[in-house]
Amino acid sequence: MRDAPTLSISDLTLSFRNWSGVSQVLHGIDLDIHKGERVGLVGESGSGKSVIARIILGTLHDVKGAQIGGDVRLGGRDMAGMSKSERGELRGTELSMIFQDPTTALNPVYTIGMQFLEVLRRGDSGMSAEDGKVRSAEILGEVSITDVDRVLESYPFQLSGGMNQRVMIAMALVNEPQLLLADEPGTALDVTVQAQTLELMRNLVEQHGTSVLFISHNLGVVREFADRIYVIYKGRIVERGPTASIFADPRHPYTKALMAAIPRLTGGGVPDIAEESESFFDPMITHGEAPE
Amino acid sequence: MKSIVSAVAKRLATTAIVLFGVSILIFLIARIIPGDPARIALGPRATVEQVERMRETLHLNDSIFVQYGYFVGDFLRGDLGISLYTNRPVMTDIAQFLPATLELVLLAGFFMVSIGLPLGAIAARYRGGWADHTIRIITLLTVSAPAFVWAVILVLLFSYYTPLFPIAGRIHETISIAPVTRFMLIDTLIAGRLDGFLSALHHLILPAFALSLSGIGQAARLTRSNMVEVYTQPYIEMAQSYGFSERRIASKFAFKPSLIPSLTIIGLDFAALLGNAFLVENIFAWPGISRYGVGVILQKDLNAIVGTVMIISATFLIANIVVDLLVAVINPRIRYAEQSD
Amino acid sequence: MKRAATILLGNPLSCLGLILVGFVVLTALLADFIAPYPEHAGAVVDFLNANKPPSSDYWLGTDVVGRDQLSRIFFAYRISLILGVVVLTISVPIGVTVGLLAGYLSGWTEYLLMRITDVFLSIPPLVLALAIMGLLEPTLINGMIAVTAMWWPWYARLVYNITRAEKVEGYVLAAEVIGAGKVHIMFREILPNSLPAIITKMTLDFGFVILIASSLSFLGLGVQAPTPDLGSMVSDGTRYLPDSWWLTVFPGLAILIAVFGFNLIGDVLREVLEPDL
Repeated sequence: MRDAPTLSISDLTLSFRNWSGVSQVLHGIDLDIHKGERVGLVGESGSGKSVIARIILGTLHDVKGAQIGGDVRLGGRDMAGMSKSERGELRGTELSMIFQDPTTALNPVYTIGMQFLEVLRRGDSGMSAEDGKVRSAEILGEVSITDVDRVLESYPFQLSGGMNQRVMIAMALVNEPQLLLADEPGTALDVTVQAQTLELMRNLVEQHGTSVLFISHNLGVVREFADRIYVIYKGRIVERGPTASIFADPRHPYTKALMAAIPRLTGGGVPDIAEESESFFDPMITHGEAPE
Repeated sequence: MKSIVSAVAKRLATTAIVLFGVSILIFLIARIIPGDPARIALGPRATVEQVERMRETLHLNDSIFVQYGYFVGDFLRGDLGISLYTNRPVMTDIAQFLPATLELVLLAGFFMVSIGLPLGAIAARYRGGWADHTIRIITLLTVSAPAFVWAVILVLLFSYYTPLFPIAGRIHETISIAPVTRFMLIDTLIAGRLDGFLSALHHLILPAFALSLSGIGQAARLTRSNMVEVYTQPYIEMAQSYGFSERRIASKFAFKPSLIPSLTIIGLDFAALLGNAFLVENIFAWPGISRYGVGVILQKDLNAIVGTVMIISATFLIANIVVDLLVAVINPRIRYAEQSD
Repeated sequence: MKRAATILLGNPLSCLGLILVGFVVLTALLADFIAPYPEHAGAVVDFLNANKPPSSDYWLGTDVVGRDQLSRIFFAYRISLILGVVVLTISVPIGVTVGLLAGYLSGWTEYLLMRITDVFLSIPPLVLALAIMGLLEPTLINGMIAVTAMWWPWYARLVYNITRAEKVEGYVLAAEVIGAGKVHIMFREILPNSLPAIITKMTLDFGFVILIASSLSFLGLGVQAPTPDLGSMVSDGTRYLPDSWWLTVFPGLAILIAVFGFNLIGDVLREVLEPDL
């Protein structure tokens, strides 16, 4: 029997209850990521793509008023059955996340070296400062940082955005997680720097065999990175399939609209799909799976 | 390191300017009061000759600029004139009374930071929960009464009704300690009297706590609001995504950044402690600057009033420099200012 | 305004605050009618009933010359409120103007005004008021002057910081582009946008002015006898501790009630009007 998928989500729903009633954010999401697979999740802001990452991380479970339904399994283990601390155990060890703006995501009052050590101690609580430094230097080398000592002694504000992004990627991978969640990585950076760091990230996850869920509003960026793509619209997956096949033959009206918006998106702007169409709510289209 | 030195140098320069301004302000207030300061000081029964002699010693017959020149020159030499109330140099009086007040203020400042900051951090960590609400109401209460009201309540509860603490004084009456620094805690140690040290500490705790209560409230409220702000920052979500415990996130990742905006204001609260010490000393018969200060004010003792205000302001400004240094230690942006600019 | 009212009535803390402040204001306004012994506001002596603990005749006991403490507290509230109103109506406009000028004009004006503000801020608040009070005569008017002198710099600071942040905002730049005058921009564009912060601070400060004024009179440098004043009442009572506890505890609690009331309202207002502070 094949190993359980790294991540398997089925019929995931999410609604928020507040004083004015209940608002449904996710309407039954199915999504799988196999070992070493890079999967893109594409949609506009507000489509629900970022909350999916928070549900996988387990941080949304503790938010008041959030009601999560359906099934999320990490390496075959059911997240719903886990306690808060069990979910916490997974984070930073088997799961890690990369954020949109590297400079604000790193703590401003600690050096990169100290933040690395903290992260390393999530994986190995007895790690000494010296071992931590050696291990950090190693992984920073893998993201093509040459003056490792300077970087480790620096504070985030002393480094460029691109440098912080590499640091964040290295930090996310240093504990060899099974699954990396990347939420709009590098959107805050300028386009060329973003492209460079994504290239680095791609090579790195390939070497480490890490599965990735790559969340973006930008189909153009996802195309460079992902093996398979899910397109999400207003809490529903509207089209899914191998990257090549979706780009060759986008079938869902919403995907087509997104494609049409790509030239305008390469600047890193927010997607701006002028018209809303009834057809965007058409049923999901599944492309044939690529042979494994 | 170099940038810390330059930051401190810059701060010292600003402090000098501000202190210069304080001297002008106090000098002006002291000179624009209606009536002849010499006559007011000596009282209606003094002879014309006495008044004239005092006008001469106070340089009151010179122009206001010359008077100010004398005043600044004397101040820089550490000469604040003679107190008309005690007939001793004002500097001597202040040197005698200020240490007792500073001892009180320093312990109160310690309470303010060591109780106020953790309370604020707990409130922020459990924001919206019952601990947050409880701390909010308690801290709002502590800032809502002047220190003398707390002093009365504490002395009734913990000195009279349950005699846990002494009612008044700095040290047990049977212990006599030679004054060296006039800080009782230090002098008892110099004298090698551990019993004296403990007695002095015992006498100090209740007045210092009464003095610190509103400061504790201010510090806690400030810490809470700054830390709640920090909790909305991406780096906290990043820490959560790495699975650090909420406790560790609060104590390590959220608390320290929140201190940077808090500390400067806490420095100002420290100033309030110096002023409020006047209110607490009264109730505990604490032999500090308060009785002297109120005494010289009631006697219209010009030199002593001006001198006391100058020294208290200087103390406060020094405290603020210390706070700035602490901020620089915590905030790498100040430490490495030259690289980031 | 309507929004503020909904907010204040909807929160239990500010409701309590409104009740406390309402109590203080009503007793101050109606002291002549509701005080059990209105004549005790003045220099009345009744040695037969001197220094009596709380009883059905004298709910909060009597002072050392036999005056009803409850009545004196009502009249003392009147003085406290007058002081608060006067101090804030003088110091807020001064502070706001200084802050607007320093924040908007920059250059030498900014440097000079803010250094002057620093000078006032670098004398511990109570000490400055004490020094002014000491050099003048201890009267109600001078008390107001002393407290006003220590109060305006805080508004200068607040408005200065807001102005510096606001002057690069779009609406200010737009007004500059169409050639609006500096005075117009400061008082018609920036000032309205700083009002929520100013009003919140005023609510909180109303309580603190009462607190500081009571501190001055506690030290014997405020309102003089026989005018009833909460600070002097506590001060007079400390000599009779612990036996005549009501002489200090009740006036002390009276201060706490008034200041706590204003603080509750101010705290809720601040939370809602300036969520980022």
